[in-house]
Amino acid sequence: MKQRITFIQRVDAGFDPQQAVLTASSLSVRGLDAAREDRITVGLDELPEEFRAVLEQSHELHLRWASERSFDAVAPFSSRVSPGLHVHYTPLESESSSEALCTLLRTVVAPNKDAQYKDCSKQEDSFITPPLRSTQFASSASLQYYTYLPSIQSLVRYIQTTVCDHSRADGPECHTRADALLSADSVDIDYDSVSHALTVSGLWTSPPMGGWTDQFQKPASAADQIEFGLLGADAGLEPEEIKMGGLLAVVGHDKKLKPTMFSFPSRHQPLNEPSTYAVSFASPTGLHPTMSISMPRSSLKRPPAPSDTTCALHTYLTLPSTIFGDQYQLATTDPLFLESHNLVALHALAGEMDLEAPDWVVQRWGSNWLLELATPRETEDATTTPDPSNWTATIPLHLRYLPPSETGHRTAHIPWPVVFWACTAEDDTKMGINPFDRTNLGWDSLFGPRTLFYQLQPAGDRLVEEVDVPVLRLEGGGDYFQGKHIEFGTCVVISLGFMWVLWRLACVAWSPGVGNKRTKGVHDKKE
Amino acid sequence: MALFDSSARVFLAATALRLILLVYGGWQDAHSAVKYTDIDYMVFTDAARYVAKGESPYARDTYRYTPLLAWMILPTAWEGAAPWSTLTFAFGKVLFALSDVLAGWLVVQLLVRCYCFPAERALRYVAAVWLWNPMVANISTRGSSEGLLGVLVAALLWAALTKKPIFAGLILGLAVHFKIYPFIYGVSILWWWDAEREGSAAAVSGLLSKALGFITPSRVKFTVAALASFVALNLIMYLQYGQPFLYHTFFHHLTRIDHRHNFSPYSTLLYLSAAGGAQTRFEALAFLPQLILVVVALPLVLAKKSLTTTMLAQTFTFVTFNKVCTSQYFLWYLILLPFYLPSSSLIRKPTLGISAAILWIAGQALWLHQGYNLEFLGLSSFVPGLFLAGLFFFAVNVWILGIIVRDGGNGAGEVSVAEK
Repeated sequence: MKQRITFIQRVDAGFDPQQAVLTASSLSVRGLDAAREDRITVGLDELPEEFRAVLEQSHELHLRWASERSFDAVAPFSSRVSPGLHVHYTPLESESSSEALCTLLRTVVAPNKDAQYKDCSKQEDSFITPPLRSTQFASSASLQYYTYLPSIQSLVRYIQTTVCDHSRADGPECHTRADALLSADSVDIDYDSVSHALTVSGLWTSPPMGGWTDQFQKPASAADQIEFGLLGADAGLEPEEIKMGGLLAVVGHDKKLKPTMFSFPSRHQPLNEPSTYAVSFASPTGLHPTMSISMPRSSLKRPPAPSDTTCALHTYLTLPSTIFGDQYQLATTDPLFLESHNLVALHALAGEMDLEAPDWVVQRWGSNWLLELATPRETEDATTTPDPSNWTATIPLHLRYLPPSETGHRTAHIPWPVVFWACTAEDDTKMGINPFDRTNLGWDSLFGPRTLFYQLQPAGDRLVEEVDVPVLRLEGGGDYFQGKHIEFGTCVVISLGFMWVLWRLACVAWSPGVGNKRTKGVHDKKE
Repeated sequence: MALFDSSARVFLAATALRLILLVYGGWQDAHSAVKYTDIDYMVFTDAARYVAKGESPYARDTYRYTPLLAWMILPTAWEGAAPWSTLTFAFGKVLFALSDVLAGWLVVQLLVRCYCFPAERALRYVAAVWLWNPMVANISTRGSSEGLLGVLVAALLWAALTKKPIFAGLILGLAVHFKIYPFIYGVSILWWWDAEREGSAAAVSGLLSKALGFITPSRVKFTVAALASFVALNLIMYLQYGQPFLYHTFFHHLTRIDHRHNFSPYSTLLYLSAAGGAQTRFEALAFLPQLILVVVALPLVLAKKSLTTTMLAQTFTFVTFNKVCTSQYFLWYLILLPFYLPSSSLIRKPTLGISAAILWIAGQALWLHQGYNLEFLGLSSFVPGLFLAGLFFFAVNVWILGIIVRDGGNGAGEVSVAEK
């Protein structure tokens, strides 16, 4: 087992050497004001049997979970995904069908009954094939799944009851580490069949009250290792580089903290000035809610990418099956439609696209959409006073029919999309090595390998929107709008109508002297 | 009324109305993000583009029509510079609007020739119901293909009333291939076309000779021609496009369960039952009242008294008792109204006619109000709002249907050629 603990201090954060003390057997930190990433790498043989069985069938498995609380992503951890749990999966044999991953996911997710959750019974039923923009970037996983997941409590419990108890020595330590994940802003779990190792990373972008106070013991086994880093990040010499400096140590191996300075290319870049966006649905949402993404105009300056790159503002939507876009409406090239919504183009889409199916017919979890957003014209800034109004892009969406409920309403949980600048270069060589790199985010594989991403910061208390979906109201008790009354009422009215028409027909059929009447009628008309 | 003296004036005005709407539609499409053109038209033209590329029209999602439609509007797929492309894009709409006018012309001809209407009277009714009806002109200039069906039904009537069984059969086969529901006209035309109508008025007694007497040359020709054209068209399309053709043109329409709110009285029940909340499967029998009336009772009782009124009553019943009903379905019976209205009790007794109109509109208004509450305001108006509005609208339609049946029994809309 290998652990890497990284603290990232902001440039303006204070640091006193007494706050990080390394001894021969441990390292302790006290009151540290920093963001923190813990990365634990575990070999397959250190995992419990059922978990190992799932991984052994996987070519690649990547879980990305993000909290729905708002957080400041700091360099070099500036990438984001929509809140919830994203699973990117490539089975070892593409044809293999297995319930093992779904069983595991059910344990990890353990959704409450009320959520519009697409139960995962077999991955080919509930997973979608991720969007593909062009075959040249075909590096993404073959299957993808998403679910709304406000808390990873079940995952933590799973780690504690199976992984911790299975692992060799540090039981209590493992439990504490797992508990700590509950306050993480994002958690990544990665496995691939080449390394045969599982990596779990937790990211906390802000310290707990009073700063980080923790102690890391030298591992008991020689095979285990704890790396420690206390670093600060800054812009590198090249626009695509990030420069980091600070102190590094391997606990129990190094005698003292080693000062260090290094830089590396990074696809995920911070924006110099904080740029924000907010997502909302204009009320009343009806059955056709429109998602608005609004940004202060000051947030929309071109990022500091190399001048030979082309930058465009994008949003990547993760829509649960309860809500969907009309691919024909959004893929239009009609400039009037696009301008009225401040959109440029729909670049990629995948998943459940059916325009008519109700939610209970849809099997897969939902859909993904990559849209390019328009930005205000350049002429507006500089000389004139800055326009204080927000710049808003809107995306027309539609709700699916949901099952009846007692209240006549159900709630659709829609995660905020991510909004980012993507600056693409002609050159499509691979990026250099980045010790803090993050891939398999869903949207990153839709761009070339040298694309630089600059995330806008979601500004809101909660990064999930709740949209009220009107449904058929069925009262459980003795009230009069029960299902059987709808059945009975329809049946009676149709039968009465049917008999009324039959009665009228019978009157005609058995009325005497119709033939005479007919001629008479015609004669009357002519007079 | 001098306005209706000249048929040229009426048709010119109808054409002008459509032309104005076409130009206006083009202008709105070019200047507003809210389009005049119907979404369905985008589906047709997308499908035509696929066909132009040598692919299947069913490559376009939600294209659920015969390939004929996509073939017909192939010119919309022609690429070109700005003014040219606007014209080719509108080709389909022009075609639909022209068939509209042609359908109206056919109805006028039939009224004058077969029903001995004075030209002015015929023009007045057809203009009011069809040619100058803004709804009809609007629907076809927005690019909905219902106008084509109007011309097929009018042509079918013309062939039947002028005693051209093979022609009538061919048209019926084509119409059913186009939109399934015209099969109902086959039954009433068959029953109507007895030996008496053929001129050989040999009234026979005895069950066997009556049964044999049913088989007349016209009936055989009509049936064979209808089956031949229907089978031939389907065979050609099946050979060309295979299973997707069958699925999208027929099976989809026969098996679809439309759970979304619409005018049908079954709509709330279908939602309930599709979501698994129903205890009985009453809706599985929904075809029974509909087909018993449309295929058996109405033709049997009314067809020999008045073919056009029977066809109107059949269409009205089909739409009223259908599991899905949207506003374009109302166009299906509009084309048949000019035959029925002039001698109907709705016109003879203005209070009755006006009450029927008011109730029908009130049914629509009530439903649309509830639909607006749901669709745009997000209120849960399924029950009681939409449920009761749907049943009320159904009741109004059934009541009107009763009037049509009674009038049909009295020979409203009957061909008076015999008396001449």
